Amino acid sequence: MLDRFFYREKGLFLQSLHPLSALVYIAVLLTLALMFNHPLYLLGLLSITVAAVKAVGGFDAWKAFLKISLGATSVIIIVNVLTVRAGQTVLWGGPHIPVFGRLDVSLEAILFGAVMGLRLLLIMSIFCLYNFMIHPDRVLDLLSRFSSKSGLVLSLAARMFPAVVSRIDGIREALTARGVDFNAGTLKEKMSKYAVLMKILLLTFLEDSMETAEAMYARAFGSGRRSCYVRENLRPRDGACLAASLIALVTAVYGWSKGLGTFGFYPQAGNLIDGRTGIGFLFAVIFLLSFPLLLSWGWHIWPFLKSKI
Amino acid sequence: MKKVLSKILFWSGFGIIPVFMAAAMSGKTTISGEWGVAAYIVIFAAIALMYLGFELETSSPREIAVIAVLGAVGAAGRIAFAALPNVQPTTFIAISSGYVFGPTAGFMVGSTAALVSNFFLGQGPWTPWQMFAWGLAGSSAGMVKSLSPRIGRWGMAFFCLLWGYFFGWILNLWSWIGFVKPLNWQSFIAVCAASFWFDTLHAAGNAAFCLLFGPGFMKILERFRHKMEVT
Repeated sequence: MLDRFFYREKGLFLQSLHPLSALVYIAVLLTLALMFNHPLYLLGLLSITVAAVKAVGGFDAWKAFLKISLGATSVIIIVNVLTVRAGQTVLWGGPHIPVFGRLDVSLEAILFGAVMGLRLLLIMSIFCLYNFMIHPDRVLDLLSRFSSKSGLVLSLAARMFPAVVSRIDGIREALTARGVDFNAGTLKEKMSKYAVLMKILLLTFLEDSMETAEAMYARAFGSGRRSCYVRENLRPRDGACLAASLIALVTAVYGWSKGLGTFGFYPQAGNLIDGRTGIGFLFAVIFLLSFPLLLSWGWHIWPFLKSKI
Repeated sequence: MKKVLSKILFWSGFGIIPVFMAAAMSGKTTISGEWGVAAYIVIFAAIALMYLGFELETSSPREIAVIAVLGAVGAAGRIAFAALPNVQPTTFIAISSGYVFGPTAGFMVGSTAALVSNFFLGQGPWTPWQMFAWGLAGSSAGMVKSLSPRIGRWGMAFFCLLWGYFFGWILNLWSWIGFVKPLNWQSFIAVCAASFWFDTLHAAGNAAFCLLFGPGFMKILERFRHKMEVT
């Protein structure tokens, strides 16, 4: 399973975007998720993100992200309940706890924790989308234009990783054939057996690294500026998605600076829809962010559009 | 001049985080009172500064290849020890690399291990914080070597043990800043208390790695450092 990336190439529209357009779209989603704290905004962004995850065929993996988020949400609620004293609607007045003071469980703290749990799920979903939308090699390729050495280190390590994992299996099999049982013994004994495995692994790959360095010398690495070949082209679809993302960001920042999309939790939770909600503004942002999804839908059902973008 | 600039950039990357944390706790809030966006900007800026520091340093192909190998082995170590809960040699490998090859190499090994392993395990909001935490573990080991060259086996084990907790606390920063209000010491302690047992397992694993195969591991790395210097 670990001999290939988490990313799966499926030839889908969102996967065909230029890495820059895709990264900007993900970055805008992440910024908005961290900027707004209104439950309706977070729900709107979550629905767009989950739809995008589905469009890149990552819905099954998203369920695992959902499970992690639900577990972490309970911790977030507990921490907020323990530390927040600003809520007015006290549900239970508890004892005095050292460091934290008097434990008063307020409705506002629970609500804030739950909404932050929703934000966490949204952020996890955005990263799930990233995992299925952009091939790591394309990101590293983009990175290597600005940072040749770090980009090379990352590319080399990413290439070596599957080889290291398969070598671990090989060494483990060889040691098992010689009578080493990795599942037997105490924790200390188990760690000692793994230590032998890691030592062999390290020695083998460090020796190999010398050969890699020789190959780099042979290709005149370091003698001048690293050659960089542009394989990615910005197509009309990239321009459209990039523009939609940036307009969404500018619109969102403008509305946010006017106080839209913010929800007052303390001292008493406000109404879900009031003057600061800005429903029209929310729909505008959601429409702009759903533009790549609309293009994706059109790309799959309309050959003419596919030929033009 | 280039060397000095690379050092300044590299270490200023680390300096950003404590300054940011102090600002978050000072009570002076951002426009909407949310620190989440600022936290991501700061962590990406810190990592970018340190990568820029590495870019400006003069590195031979051998150094680059060794850093890449150690990063890949550190990443794969997360898989090899998956059967033992939260016991992973990545922190130990980053610390050993930093101790032997210096702070910049230590940072690169730690951050590469985090990023590359997550290409295969799945990237998450924790990725930049893992890159920073493991990178910092590697760099701090390089500093320890220059401050105390004869730290000894037990001293090193204690250092690895501490890093089990530091790593957890750095990772807790993103959940604390993004999802908890108010940002004060009490709330930070509450977040760290929630992860205490995970961090303790990580810390105990680090110390055990150091005691069990620290000397052998260091010997191999020292041998290769020597090999790189003489050839």
